[in-house]
Amino acid sequence: MQIIIQGLLLSGLYALIAMGFTLIFSVGRVLNLAYGAYLLIGGYVYFTISQTLGVPKLIGLLLAAVVGCLVGLLKYRLLVKPLKGDHVAVEISTLILAVVLQAGVVFLYGDSSKILLPIVPGVTQVAGASVTYNLLTATIASWAILIGLYFFVRKTHVGRAMQAVSMDTKGAAISGVDPDKINMFTWGLSGALGATAGVFFASYTQLSPSMWVAPLIISVAVVIVGGIGSIIGTLIVAHIVGFMEVLAVSVIAPELRGVFTMLLIIGVLVIRPQGLFGREEL
Amino acid sequence: MNLRWTHVVMWLAFVALMFAIPEFVSKGTLRTLIFANFLAIFAISWDVLSGRTGYISFGHPFLIGIGAYTSAILTKRFDVPIEFAIPAAVVMTMIGGIIVFLPALRIKGSYFALVTLAFMELMYQLVQVIRPDLTGGTRGMSGVQTLTRGAVNGYYLSVSLMLAVALSMWLLMRTQLGTALSAVGMNEESVRGSGLSTTKLKLFAFLTSAFVAGLGGAFYVHYLGSIAPRALFDINFLFTIIVAALIGGASTIIGPVIGAFFLTFLLEYLRPYLPGAERYFIYGLIALLLYMYEPKGLIALIDKGWQRLRGAADRKETV
Repeated sequence: MQIIIQGLLLSGLYALIAMGFTLIFSVGRVLNLAYGAYLLIGGYVYFTISQTLGVPKLIGLLLAAVVGCLVGLLKYRLLVKPLKGDHVAVEISTLILAVVLQAGVVFLYGDSSKILLPIVPGVTQVAGASVTYNLLTATIASWAILIGLYFFVRKTHVGRAMQAVSMDTKGAAISGVDPDKINMFTWGLSGALGATAGVFFASYTQLSPSMWVAPLIISVAVVIVGGIGSIIGTLIVAHIVGFMEVLAVSVIAPELRGVFTMLLIIGVLVIRPQGLFGREEL
Repeated sequence: MNLRWTHVVMWLAFVALMFAIPEFVSKGTLRTLIFANFLAIFAISWDVLSGRTGYISFGHPFLIGIGAYTSAILTKRFDVPIEFAIPAAVVMTMIGGIIVFLPALRIKGSYFALVTLAFMELMYQLVQVIRPDLTGGTRGMSGVQTLTRGAVNGYYLSVSLMLAVALSMWLLMRTQLGTALSAVGMNEESVRGSGLSTTKLKLFAFLTSAFVAGLGGAFYVHYLGSIAPRALFDINFLFTIIVAALIGGASTIIGPVIGAFFLTFLLEYLRPYLPGAERYFIYGLIALLLYMYEPKGLIALIDKGWQRLRGAADRKETV
């Protein structure tokens, strides 16, 4: 029971982390290796605003999302667009950017990790398992955001334009959708999602300049295993990854928590490169 | 293989220059140079695989780590003489290279890069958990037998190794095999269409790259005398290798060497002005700007500058 609850909570968080990465991969067709850096930025912006300056937490969270969105837009304008969809170049330059941002955070905040106070303090007992309100909030927020995103992509004009661009950029352009605008929008949205996820992730683990690597690997795993850009696939695989980690930690050994995720990535990519759920478009 | 006498002269000059350096510089600079030499070896290894065939490896520390760990474990835990431990490490790394090669049979591009990244993280986590009595767990190992004492000897060893690797790779890449490897990077289908086995070519590239990585990794651990998983299987280390190869100029041999020396000395020269962590920030930013400005690397910039100088000279003559 403990495992199921822990697994559900962790998976919700992972789904939120992976979502922004999926969006970029699906619409822009590029791997944003600096995605983890949004989480880094989100976490530290929230830390500065809410914990150091004492501004209300919700405002801190919103500001973190806004900064993440801005970073995403800047990244698209300054990095991705000039490289004109050269995939290798985008991957390498985003990797360099992530390292630069990490160094920037070390410069501003120092090398040591910081504890982020829980966003919602308190612990409750659910069926014998202790659940922090913090993680519970993260999971609920994550579900709310995912459901909102799902309907946004399905029902609104912009969402459908995003779908169109992810299916066929040229076709979308012919139908009067400006792929550039949609890309801009997606990068901003992805940044905001990443930064929000970063606040929750940082309050779940801790703030440290190298905290961007683990979420990046998780997002990569979720996207690869789930197939590109399907929201439902992302959700399912986030649960597979989350449960695998919880099982590994509680049944085998805490040190092995990431091992099965890596094995899953390697296994799926080698055996079924199109992902478990195929190439559904968004 | 078309060798011209200018090539021979340039190589001789390069070798002579590298061997003359200890006469002119301080011990501290020599230590920096030793690191640059090893970085150059790793960058060449990365370039042989990724620069040529276009299969971007984000997991090179995985290969280097296999080489370093095998040699360190053999000498420290089993008292194997270094002369046998290093070849064994190279063989193990080549087996590791085959493991990395298997996914490349089916996937390419971004997906391949991700698998290699996963390999590196997997190795990082496994090394700490499986047989910590052998690998030293999270803290790694120290007191590994070293090959040389003092900066000067260490420099000569590393520079000889680097030059040997650079020269043999340079010669190799000038053969038809080297041309075929570059062709795989340009268009795999048309290479297959020309009746060449791309599988064999790719396997060859992976094995060569792993060979160099294993050699470099093993010698590196016997130079440092210690090994730690966090320093080795680290994105920053990976970043330095890739950026050295790219900034210098991918799919050349001299490019990664130039890149490695440029990066190492950039970091060293920033030290007096920016002593703290901001150094890495500036350093990464310079790397990013250079890469965005000229993805072909420093060697293309030098070449362009040279062409312009020559162009100016030619114009003067005609006028």
